[in-house]
Amino acid sequence: MHFLRHSVPYALALIAIATVWQIAVWVSQANVAILPPPLLTLATLWELIANGELAKHTLASLSRVVSAWGLSVIIAVPLGLVMARSKTVERLLDPVIELFRPISPLAWIPLAILWFGIGETGKIFIIFIATFFPIVLNTVSGVKSVDPVLIRAGQVLGCTNEATLFWRVILPAAMPTIIVGLRIAFGTGWAAIIAAELVAAQSGLGYLIADGMEILRSDLVLAGMIAIGVLGVLIDSIFRLLGNRYDWGAG
Amino acid sequence: MRENSHSKSIEVSNLSMTFRSDDGTSVNALAPTNLEIEPGQFVAIVGPSGCGKSTLLNILAGFLTPSDGQASIGNEAVAGPSIDHGVVFQDYALFPWLTVLDNVAFGLKSQGIGSSERKEIAMRFLDVVSLRDFADKRPRELSGGMKQRAAIARTFATNPSVILMDEPFGALDALTRRFLQQQLLKIWSESRKTVLFITHSVQEAVFLADRIIVMTARPGRIKSDFLIELDHPRDFSSDSFRKIEKNVFDSLDEELAKTFGLAGNQLQGD
Ligand SMILES: Nc1ncnc2c1ncn2[C@@H]1O[C@H](COP(=O)(O)OP(=O)(O)O)[C@@H](O)[C@H]1O
Ligand SMILES: [Mg+2]
Repeated sequence: MHFLRHSVPYALALIAIATVWQIAVWVSQANVAILPPPLLTLATLWELIANGELAKHTLASLSRVVSAWGLSVIIAVPLGLVMARSKTVERLLDPVIELFRPISPLAWIPLAILWFGIGETGKIFIIFIATFFPIVLNTVSGVKSVDPVLIRAGQVLGCTNEATLFWRVILPAAMPTIIVGLRIAFGTGWAAIIAAELVAAQSGLGYLIADGMEILRSDLVLAGMIAIGVLGVLIDSIFRLLGNRYDWGAG
Repeated sequence: MRENSHSKSIEVSNLSMTFRSDDGTSVNALAPTNLEIEPGQFVAIVGPSGCGKSTLLNILAGFLTPSDGQASIGNEAVAGPSIDHGVVFQDYALFPWLTVLDNVAFGLKSQGIGSSERKEIAMRFLDVVSLRDFADKRPRELSGGMKQRAAIARTFATNPSVILMDEPFGALDALTRRFLQQQLLKIWSESRKTVLFITHSVQEAVFLADRIIVMTARPGRIKSDFLIELDHPRDFSSDSFRKIEKNVFDSLDEELAKTFGLAGNQLQGD
């Protein structure tokens, strides 16, 4: 029931998009190679599902995003925690982060190729850049907004050193905000796979799309785009479910 | 309630506090204050708002360092927050991610008590505040009064030698407040901890305390000190209760007059 209620808006959105798309096809009279009709695209998508291609490419992309995101979690969460607890570290790192943040992951492609070549590392690096900032920033804000009275309560209940206070009070109190950061980061990382797989990839949804363009198969391009959109929504809802478990409201 | 229940004295000597902000302004929150509280005594502090009551309590809790003077608990200078000096906060300060039971057991874990014993002790204290059935709930599922009962159980469970309470019932409605006053007396009478209890309700102070201290308007110092020797449970409507209440009000009125800029001499002094 719950699932149904949430799916209805998405189903309506899909119907609306398909309708506008079909009208555009009729009005423009465009070549099938340039703008295929929705039904043809759907057939292509089905074919990709049936022959296992879609699963293969999805898995390739997903494993890149998971590795890059995981790396970000390992580096950005502790960094955010330290920044939030130490004024000095924050003053040092905040300007650095603010300067790097506006630079799109796309802008890192040339350097990624120069530094890491055209293998996996460069691709993971680009996605890493995309996932890093939301995690750091949410971790910092999560820790900073912990209610000071909870910290005092922790102290008079025996968390007298910084480490115990941290594990027993600060981290759990900041968890809901940190999880929001993890969710946003997975989203930005997922969106960055096209950029990452644009260069010399042999697999992945980004490769599928780039390849579709090369061989003038817009239906492949669009099928890849649809897969990215739908999977993005699915992954996001998994994170939301996880987030709900940490949504304990106010004390 | 726990074995070797103990309580300690509180000594405050020449304690004062001036808050200085970065822009050079300063607020003199507490004038040099002297105070001695015997072990096991239940002391209420009343005074106009902003007179430095919370400042005094926060210094005793170890949250603030005084500008001058000394605060000791059991003849030991307060050096910082400690599990031996329990605090009950006005806004409960329960940990929202823990169940009620785990909140009450939180301090017991710090004390190195094993998990089954923790649970047993926490349950016992939840019983005292009639919250046994809510042990597995999250704080957000509780009403304000229930939250504060859980917070009181959490503090008493760790068997501190002093308990500091800053307007703990200030956010509760009058009926809930009465119930909690009774529950506090119940849990207190089983352990006889030294309690310092800040309130803005004179009636509450007379109902609960062995001793009431009235503070002056800011910068606060001790203005008067009343010993209350009525037996519990106390009757709000008895003559002796009302007489003490009136004495405390009279002392307080002068300070309120100062706070609100009225002519103090128009009110009867103590
Ligand atoms: N951290 C602080 N910085 C500056 N001024 C403060 C601070 N804490 C309290 N004060 C001021 O000190 C005075 C006493 O405050 P407080 O002890 O909270 O009063 P009470 O609890 O009696 O209402 C007030 O004027 C308050 O504004
Ligand atoms: Mg106060």
